[in-house]
Amino acid sequence: MTIVKSVTCPVCGCLCDDIELVVEDGKVEEVKNGCAICESKFIGYRGEHRVLKPKIRQNGKLVDTTLQEAVKKSAEILANANYPILYGWSSTSCEAQRVGVELAEEVGGVLDNTAVVCHGPSILGIQEVGIPSCTLGQVRHRADLVIYWGCDPWSAHPRHVERYTTFAEGRFEGSEWKGYLQKFKAAAGRKKIKRVMKQAPVKNPPSIEPVTPSEPPQKMKKDGRKLIVVDVRRTMTAEVADYFIQVEPNKDYELMEALRALVRDQELDVNSVAGISVECLEELVDIMIGCNFGIIFFGLGLTMSAGKFRNIDVAISLTRDLNMRTKFAIMPMRGHFNVTGSNTVFTWQTGYPFGVDFSLGYPRYNPGETTSVDVLLRRESDAALVIASDPVANFPKKAVQHLVKNPLIVIDPHMNATSLMADVVFPSAFVGIEVGGTAYRMDHVPLPLKKVVDPPEGVLSDKEILNRILEETRKIKLKQVEAA
Amino acid sequence: MIVLTPLRKFQFPVMAECISPDVFQGKSRDEIASLTVYEGNRRKKLGNLFKIEKESAENLKITIKGDVNEVRRIGSGMKSGEIMVFGNVGMHLGHKMEGGKITVHGDVDGWAGSEMKGGLIEIQGNAGNYLASPYRGSSVGMRGGRIVVSGNIGTDSGASMQKGVIKIHGKAGHFLGFRMRGGVIHVEKDVGDRAGACMTGGKIVVSGSLESILPTFTIDKMKPKVKIDQNEKVTGPFYVFLGDRSENGKGKLFASKAANPHLSSFEKLL
Repeated sequence: MTIVKSVTCPVCGCLCDDIELVVEDGKVEEVKNGCAICESKFIGYRGEHRVLKPKIRQNGKLVDTTLQEAVKKSAEILANANYPILYGWSSTSCEAQRVGVELAEEVGGVLDNTAVVCHGPSILGIQEVGIPSCTLGQVRHRADLVIYWGCDPWSAHPRHVERYTTFAEGRFEGSEWKGYLQKFKAAAGRKKIKRVMKQAPVKNPPSIEPVTPSEPPQKMKKDGRKLIVVDVRRTMTAEVADYFIQVEPNKDYELMEALRALVRDQELDVNSVAGISVECLEELVDIMIGCNFGIIFFGLGLTMSAGKFRNIDVAISLTRDLNMRTKFAIMPMRGHFNVTGSNTVFTWQTGYPFGVDFSLGYPRYNPGETTSVDVLLRRESDAALVIASDPVANFPKKAVQHLVKNPLIVIDPHMNATSLMADVVFPSAFVGIEVGGTAYRMDHVPLPLKKVVDPPEGVLSDKEILNRILEETRKIKLKQVEAA
Repeated sequence: MIVLTPLRKFQFPVMAECISPDVFQGKSRDEIASLTVYEGNRRKKLGNLFKIEKESAENLKITIKGDVNEVRRIGSGMKSGEIMVFGNVGMHLGHKMEGGKITVHGDVDGWAGSEMKGGLIEIQGNAGNYLASPYRGSSVGMRGGRIVVSGNIGTDSGASMQKGVIKIHGKAGHFLGFRMRGGVIHVEKDVGDRAGACMTGGKIVVSGSLESILPTFTIDKMKPKVKIDQNEKVTGPFYVFLGDRSENGKGKLFASKAANPHLSSFEKLL
């Protein structure tokens, strides 16, 4: 039995690097410090859906084949394609992504990562107005006002609050977990009362549900860290927040525009914005201006609701305006553990973070034109390589219909919906468990991923598989040039 | 006059910035046929994709007969001459255009007239998103010229516009004239929400109904008529809103009184 310390968790954009693993007989047996999702990944990666042999489609069925055969077939598909898509990349290491850029350039395809259906609008917003951001370490030690806007870290980034924001014990700001403990006790008490009331029905029962206050509560005037949640529904994070603002769906843009005007001391002609009274907004602006160091974390509630990248544009502009009065920063809550890495690697190599089109021989970027979903919806592509992702389960139906109509290569440790529709399937080793590498945290801090156990026999890393396909593609291309 | 007819329906995007009167000028039919275009990732000659006929000695007029939905950058950077298309056109039509005229008897895809500096684009059908808007990360939109669309247009049109006139006879999507600094946009029918967001100058005139108005716009006055350009005036009456105050802007948003009864509550603030 060996204990491996300081392992980086390859699940979400938090990249917690304090995980301890107990390894026995080449298997992870116990996970310490991790959240439920982390534990599930480290224990469950050897599940029944694991692919161990390369597969190729023959007579409509996927059959086992050799690695050489699968590499040859994939290289042929990509070398002969006129407009291939290379999609995925967010759940693999930066080293594999770098080879991916080389392959995309060689085959003249569209290189795109999962940001296109996730935080792509954030990047577009950032490109319009820039971003005043910081590292999570700064937030942990200094932030006294934390705003989660359109995201629910309690469910999606379970250790975000605990490691980086309100519950973390920073050098200059203390942890607020005791206060939240009382809240949970109150919530448990409410549950109990509800149960009792169910068993013994009372006439005209008193309401025990927490109500959305019409103005910021008294505790917003307390010292220490404050947590505000803005969302369309009462999420788990909203339950623990000091102040929860329930915004009308698709009205985030209006709300932030109003906040911007108030930060600039302008008066509004209306009485309420997005279902919230202007007096209430004025108090909220007072709280925001009154803090020493504020941070806005935003999620898909902002990037994928009406307005899309304009929502991020206005959120960043709000942060910029607040910086005229106090210190404020903003950060997207990235999902996949290395989606930030794929944006960084693509930008480092091509100048553009996602949706890069190599068809003209040089990188070109215009989301809406060169992004994979749009290319598929216009039915332009004629082949695809999908790595570490499952677009068949996530893309719009019409895009999927075109994706599976053409030759499809999948590199993934698991058999997923996309692999089931593929023509060539490569099994790959789990990045961060069976193979090391580098990943970027949501605040653009690169962290090393550890190799903890050996991969199953014959299963290669993403980087190695891509290198072999690239080598074979180059050979075919060279032959084509010689023949011409 | 040069007549181009597509030889087949294209599946892959075709990059054809060479289809421009300035490029065709002084070239023989064979020279035009050997101009480079890209279809997907393959380099091709214009003659491989289009039937090219030369009907007169001068090349300043180009006619395209048939749908060219996948053909992009037609008339890119053109300075003079005329392009007429009888069919639908792909993206980036007349991008960075400086002069001349483009007429389309059909629909046009996104980014038509983006970063345009002069000239005239007439679209008889509908136009896609980002009409006359700049590319990602650029803060300078349309700088001059005129765009006339008979049908409807998509979203995010006229973003960061500085000068020129856009006239839409149909409807417009949301975020019309985002971060606009100058120029005039006139829409005869309905406009989606968030029109004029972050605008600091210029005019947006809505003769139809305005879905909603941003809270950062303030009512200024009522006006019976609005001037679109030297030759055209639109009669109202119109509510005149000033904004966007989140940017300390002085842009003007005109909304027709007759078509917008939901804005009557602003009248008491006058």
